[in-house]
Amino acid sequence: MEKTKKSTDHHNPGSSGAAAAAAADRKSADLSCEIKSYVGIRKKIRRMCRENPLAAVSAAVIVVMILMAVFAPLIAPYQEAEQDLMARLQGPSAAHIFGTDELGRDVFTRILYGARVSLMVGIIPSAITLVIGIFFGLLAGFHGGWVDYVIMRFVDVMLSFPTLLLCMVMMYVLGRYADSVLCIILSLSLINWAGTARVVRAQTLSLKETEYVEAARSIGVKRIRIMLRHILPNCIPSLIVLYTLSVPSSILSESTLSFLGIGVQPPAASWGLMVNQSKQFLFTMPWLALAPSLSIMLVVLAFNFLGDGLRDALDPYLESR
Amino acid sequence: MKSVMKRLIGMIPVFIGVMLLIFVLLRVVPGDPVQVLLGEHYSQDTIDRLTKAMNLDKPVFEQFLLYLSGVFHGDLGMSYVMKKPVTSLIMEALPQTVILALMASTFAWFVGIGSGIIAAIKQNKAPDHIFMGFSLAGISVPVFMSALFLQYVFSFKLKLLPLSSDGSLKSLILPAIALGWNSAGSVARLTRSNLVDALQADYIDTAKAKGLTNRAVIFGHALRNSMLPVITLMAIQLSSMMSGAVVTESIFAIPGVGRLATNAIQTRDMPLLQGTVLLTTVMVIFGSLLADILYSVIDPRIRREA
Amino acid sequence: MKKRTGLMILTACLTALMSVSAFASDGDEKVLRLGWGKDIQTMDVHKTTDNYAVPLNIFDRLLEVQLNEDGSTEIVNSIAKEYSVSDDGLTYSFTLRDDVKFCDGTPLTSADVEATFTRMFTLPESVQTDFTTCIKGAQDILDGKTDKLEGIHVIDDYNFEIVLEEPFAGFLSVLATPTCCIMSKANLETAGDDFGVVPEKTIGSGPYMVTEWKTNDSLTLVRNPEYWGEPASAATVVYKVYPEPASMNMAFQNGDIDILDCDFIDAAIVQSVYETAYADQIVMANRLGTYMIILNADVEPLSDVRVRKALQMAINRQGILDQIYGGNGVLVDGIYPAGSIGFSEENQGWLAYDPEGAKALLAEAGYENGFDLEIAVNTSASANMNNMLQIFEQNLKEIGVNASMVNYDEAEYLKIRKNGTLPCFAAVWTLDYNDPSNIIDTFFGSVESTHGRSLNYADTSIMERVIKARAITDETERMAEYAAVEKKIVEEDAAWIPLYSLQHRFVISDKIEHFTPHWAGYGDFSCNNVTMK
Repeated sequence: MEKTKKSTDHHNPGSSGAAAAAAADRKSADLSCEIKSYVGIRKKIRRMCRENPLAAVSAAVIVVMILMAVFAPLIAPYQEAEQDLMARLQGPSAAHIFGTDELGRDVFTRILYGARVSLMVGIIPSAITLVIGIFFGLLAGFHGGWVDYVIMRFVDVMLSFPTLLLCMVMMYVLGRYADSVLCIILSLSLINWAGTARVVRAQTLSLKETEYVEAARSIGVKRIRIMLRHILPNCIPSLIVLYTLSVPSSILSESTLSFLGIGVQPPAASWGLMVNQSKQFLFTMPWLALAPSLSIMLVVLAFNFLGDGLRDALDPYLESR
Repeated sequence: MKSVMKRLIGMIPVFIGVMLLIFVLLRVVPGDPVQVLLGEHYSQDTIDRLTKAMNLDKPVFEQFLLYLSGVFHGDLGMSYVMKKPVTSLIMEALPQTVILALMASTFAWFVGIGSGIIAAIKQNKAPDHIFMGFSLAGISVPVFMSALFLQYVFSFKLKLLPLSSDGSLKSLILPAIALGWNSAGSVARLTRSNLVDALQADYIDTAKAKGLTNRAVIFGHALRNSMLPVITLMAIQLSSMMSGAVVTESIFAIPGVGRLATNAIQTRDMPLLQGTVLLTTVMVIFGSLLADILYSVIDPRIRREA
Repeated sequence: MKKRTGLMILTACLTALMSVSAFASDGDEKVLRLGWGKDIQTMDVHKTTDNYAVPLNIFDRLLEVQLNEDGSTEIVNSIAKEYSVSDDGLTYSFTLRDDVKFCDGTPLTSADVEATFTRMFTLPESVQTDFTTCIKGAQDILDGKTDKLEGIHVIDDYNFEIVLEEPFAGFLSVLATPTCCIMSKANLETAGDDFGVVPEKTIGSGPYMVTEWKTNDSLTLVRNPEYWGEPASAATVVYKVYPEPASMNMAFQNGDIDILDCDFIDAAIVQSVYETAYADQIVMANRLGTYMIILNADVEPLSDVRVRKALQMAINRQGILDQIYGGNGVLVDGIYPAGSIGFSEENQGWLAYDPEGAKALLAEAGYENGFDLEIAVNTSASANMNNMLQIFEQNLKEIGVNASMVNYDEAEYLKIRKNGTLPCFAAVWTLDYNDPSNIIDTFFGSVESTHGRSLNYADTSIMERVIKARAITDETERMAEYAAVEKKIVEEDAAWIPLYSLQHRFVISDKIEHFTPHWAGYGDFSCNNVTMK
């Protein structure tokens, strides 16, 4: 049975690691009789797009958001931190389609630049998490014995820690060596890998016992090769799903940190920070908070729908949540 | 019982690991509790005097051992900043947190399981989309947004409920909804997809063939079999809510464990932070134990395996 | 089983919903409700330098500062009914009122005064030693040579003398600060470490006493039945902690708070909501404090006085004052807060916003291509402060300085500042006692203080003058010396960028008849100054 963490307020759809791990544990018996091949992934995704329009639309939304973030300097009508003190707190107009904030900065421009930070903070830590998780998961699952014991106890430690508190402490520790966005990326990466490690370990354990791997072993194939060539590829579908679901959770984590004032450093923009800066105006000047909140919602929903779609399409064994 | 004991003993290394990690991290964090205490006025003399009075001049490892031996004697130390025993501070904050967590979970489970079931039965029809849309919105909206929104509408505009906590159950309704809505989304998703799977299983066809009503099939067979992972999730959610919900507590001015912990980080109040982390760890361990026990109640096969 | 528990909880919620809480306050039992941004850490004034709300209400001082209609302040008697100062300015003789009792009924006597001042120096955790080390023998206690305070002579129960090491004109003002709250000797001895923590073990003679303190939640004061003066208007005072400013704002408009401290609320909200809909409920207090941006002279290239002067000219102070603070304040060009004793009109008006001039100065100093500069930000600073720094950053970019803001959380910020390495940051000082020595000693009194405040001001001859000025007995001469030193430090040496003195605004609810804020414009005040309808 698994333990998992979830102490930030927002529900962590991505730390589904544990629930997924439970599923993987339970389904391991079925898994062992079938070795899936990862070559069919592209085909399955194509089928998903046909059969699940919601997931396809979500994917499109994500792509558009990423493009907007990448080309922010070209699209944005103003500079990221360009202030106009004479035009503070204006409502939406032709000059500022989402209005201006307290320092007279264009909200639309900041949404675009904020997308860079928010998406980066979603996408990169989830990837790093995956690498760390795969490394420890494979090692623990394949080696077994004391290595497994030590790694899994460490995973337990990480999982029983209140995430938000750990994140705050990490932000303070790392704060002196890197800028705030990098800090968030590193903190989230160093904290969230434990769930992935669990899933990978569970799958490794069951795959290890398959005749296929046994055979490879008996003919003297090197361990590392077995891990990388035979076991890892079979984990890929679940990992894709895990990844897609952990992106929105990281985005929400960033927004919570920024809301608490320890996330992204002004004058840089992130959606969470923009909500934080405009929360007092929520009801007198709603446009200020509306744009960033809706952006967060949209992206998080899109990733969630895409994740659901991918799970249905790729991985019947990773139980949905 | 035996397996429970075994599990508890197995958690001791995890426990010490958590303590060690927080201890080490707190020594690496820049900033000094003495400075926080002193604020604007200070001289080097004062700093030296305070550092000594707070045992901070001892080697880190000695401090850790001193702390551990205290913990095993049931003494969590004194808060540097609040100057009160950590145990009493936590006991003061815990009731609010526990009530909030229970209320939020109840909301999450009713809404989550309810909309999950409806969505599964009416798969791909309007009720599916409406209920799942509502639940998923809970996952996608940052908690501070939903909390501020609920506070504005129900307390400020409609004046139906208190704006901030006054210790009454009534004042915890809004925070419980804000917090619970978040969890409801995941519960609903998991319930729906498991139930959809279960409804497609062979034994459902058998049951239907035997002439059972639709309702009996769903509640008698399918739901029971699809609830196991949901229960895991719910136990996890409950135990994590017990460890405090910083944002909700701040917005609704609830003096709970989450705020105690964040204040402790900000003021580098090590004994207090260690105490709250300890509590959280215990909660998480008990959460998973609880899930185990519920599992074996619902599915007797698991008991045998264990 | 689960379902039944759920039902029970639901029922409980509904019951709670229906039962209307009986919170009626009849005519005589007026409740004053106040909001705090965060909880206090202690009620023991010797252990805190900013949680003054409770000490101001539950203790008395020997003297008080009275705020006159015209905004001037004067020292008035409180529990000391008369005093005299010897000709050499060293010996202060006091006579106590004989009707002052602590809330446990015991009388307040000279022995309590002696115990209080002794504890200030002997208590290991004491942080209130800065202003009072001028008392004879205080330094010896701090050095651990003795535990008896030489400078206090108890004559009888109601008469005593305080002797200073050297003359200090501001000493009477010091006695009126929260630092010098008089505690009960017997209470201090019996309560031990519980003093300031446990309400019933924290006993004072002030208008109120503490009955309940719930951590991170609320603190309740009730009238002290033994109080010697006029009973306070509100029978009960409840402080409630609202960590989220947006919620505090709604709570006031909802009628849950009676006096709202606008420092907690974003200035733009104050302008858009309170200055219109609540215009006649706003109470202004002159805050005897100044804001400044400190330029650390040990950090390249701030070590060059021309660079510091260029930065002084680069910042659009009037723009910030008007836009961020709605014009509620005045620019100051020196060290002393506008309206305080020592504020020199002659030292005003020399500093103008002049980005072109700033660029020219930078070029002269060899930085025509600008330089990198870190602006340190305390994460617990208010939204207003943060906005101000963002404008400052932009102003610096306009003269070609590549400024960037770096966040530090408070614990770390204070530590770095103490180490003398914080490069460029905003600071604010509100007077503890109305005398120029309070602010100038703190920042420029010694090498240690300029280093500990990350100023690293280099001119030690100025520090000597600052310390010597304390003992000048002729008041006009003393003020002239303070003004001269101010001119040298800020105008000639550009040690910091002076900003402004702000008004401190409060909004009162319709339950408040009259409210006089603290004389120095603190957020904390004595609730004795609030009259309820």
